[in-house]
Amino acid sequence: MVDQTLTGVPGMSTVAEGDRSVRARAVIFALVGVLIVTALLSLASGASDASPVGVVSDWLFGPSAGGDALSARDRVIINDIRLPRVLMGALIGAALAVSGAVMQGLFRNPLADPGLIGISAGSSLGAVGVIVLGATVLAPFTDLFGALALPFAAFVGGLITTLILYRIATRQGQTSVATMLLAGIALAALAMALTGVLIYMADDRQLRDLTFWQLGSLAGATWQKIGVVGPIIAVALAATPFLARGLNALALGEATAHHLGIPVQRLKYIAIVAVAAAVGASVAVSGGIGFVGIVVPHLLRLLIGPDNRYLLPASALLGAVLLLLADAVARTIVAPAELPIGIVTACVGGPFFLWILLRKRGVLDL
Amino acid sequence: MIDAHDVSVAIGGKAIVSAVDFTARAGEVTAIVGPNGSGKTTLLRALSGDLPYNGRVAINGFDLAGLKPVEAAAMRAVLPQATTLAFPFTVREIIRLGLVGGRSGALAGEDKQLPERALARVDLEGFAGRFYQELSGGEQQRVQLARVLCQVWTPVLDGKPRYLLLDEPVSSLDIKHQLIIMDVARDFARRGGGVVAILHDLNLTAMYADRICVMHRGRLTADGAPVDVLSDNLMDTVFGCRLKIGALPAGNMPFVLPQSAAR
Repeated sequence: MVDQTLTGVPGMSTVAEGDRSVRARAVIFALVGVLIVTALLSLASGASDASPVGVVSDWLFGPSAGGDALSARDRVIINDIRLPRVLMGALIGAALAVSGAVMQGLFRNPLADPGLIGISAGSSLGAVGVIVLGATVLAPFTDLFGALALPFAAFVGGLITTLILYRIATRQGQTSVATMLLAGIALAALAMALTGVLIYMADDRQLRDLTFWQLGSLAGATWQKIGVVGPIIAVALAATPFLARGLNALALGEATAHHLGIPVQRLKYIAIVAVAAAVGASVAVSGGIGFVGIVVPHLLRLLIGPDNRYLLPASALLGAVLLLLADAVARTIVAPAELPIGIVTACVGGPFFLWILLRKRGVLDL
Repeated sequence: MIDAHDVSVAIGGKAIVSAVDFTARAGEVTAIVGPNGSGKTTLLRALSGDLPYNGRVAINGFDLAGLKPVEAAAMRAVLPQATTLAFPFTVREIIRLGLVGGRSGALAGEDKQLPERALARVDLEGFAGRFYQELSGGEQQRVQLARVLCQVWTPVLDGKPRYLLLDEPVSSLDIKHQLIIMDVARDFARRGGGVVAILHDLNLTAMYADRICVMHRGRLTADGAPVDVLSDNLMDTVFGCRLKIGALPAGNMPFVLPQSAAR
């Protein structure tokens, strides 16, 4: 994603006025490094301590390596518990942050978020349905998909919500973004009401499952789940670089984007499906993790500007880093117990977001 | 040539533009004038491909309805009345969006300098690093024009003329910049391109337009050279003002016409 030959330090090459691409490339390059370090530290830290150096040398040279070698037990913990968790955290963080950036570009609004138009609510409904009705009405479904029933139901819930939204907001081949926003709010309310009915029906054990799932956690990450949601998120993320130029043009309005030669309708369609897939898959595994989609793109816009060619990859990287850090906090702060990660992101993200708003008030005209 | 035949546009069941035949030739500045609500902008939006319309619009012989966005973008650039921006782009980043279609027509090496050169054309040298949202309304309008110019930098591409569709390009400009921008439009036409501009200032229109198309209640009521179209009768019937063409104000009342510009 980063063109190595062009990655320079600002000031070393002659940069044209108003051109932030060199700085943006430098930031992306730095974020790659930060992500690698964060991932290694996440792998090494936890109830069973191992040094990052030990983890890497174990991978590279096998169990026979020298003094820093891992015990067999540590190896199992790192490769089968922590590695899928770190991978999952990075994937979901990237998916949530990029989805936020894409939605904000699409709706031309820095406050837009997949949670806003009901995608997350639809996913939640699917997941809650499986938890509450899995043993009764939906038994054939859960028997068929086994452990994957919950992620799959959440994904389908998000996708169905998005398709309904898209049908409501599209007339004569034109998707009205305003209608979609309003219909999304209505659909989200409806999905939450249905979720409420299910919660009302739930027994005590189910209620505990529900609460923890809704608060969000990466604790359930397994290689099996990565096998299911990993490819979905990867494909959705891979589609976004092709949207970048179109989303930039869309900042000037739909008509102007069309004048500039952008196939606006196709752009909207691809963007919506990619976001539905990425968010549905993320909610499926980790439940509700808020604020990543708003805070990460906002922070990066202050740093490198709103050009989506850089904003989207940078959001993926910073989203991954932030979620790994949040997960590290979640599993160490009340060790040996674990805090739901959604609580951590909301505790950090909420005040942080308010701070941004207060600081920029008057400048942004919000 | 932009050739519209029997074009009608209805918005919300109400006919805004009715059965308009309209042509804009390469090498000419074609002005669309008319009172507020007469359908000028709606006609221009139909010509831009923004609105569904009945009838036929062709650019250089190609049916507009059959053109892909990127193909249409290579033939014409459109300046809207006003552009609000959702995110803090710099002026250079805005202008570079004009190059997104990739058919500026500039030589391969020139593309990088186009933002500077376009800014110079609209009298905004040194503005590339400024934030768009911090500029005044008139400056923003000129930045948008610079973006539009980048999109069709050469008025002729592959032997075919290209077109500028401008919706009130000088509406928020001071008199000096009105003249500069209209000179840019006329220069584009002189070099082989076509310009369609909605204008309100009839003096400026008379000075710069090769042809004037008058819209009135959704219909094209007059079409021709300024000297033929602008008449006392037109002022009365279309604009509803009893104004005399060419009459000087009485006594020592000062007046300033763009025609008096030293050139």
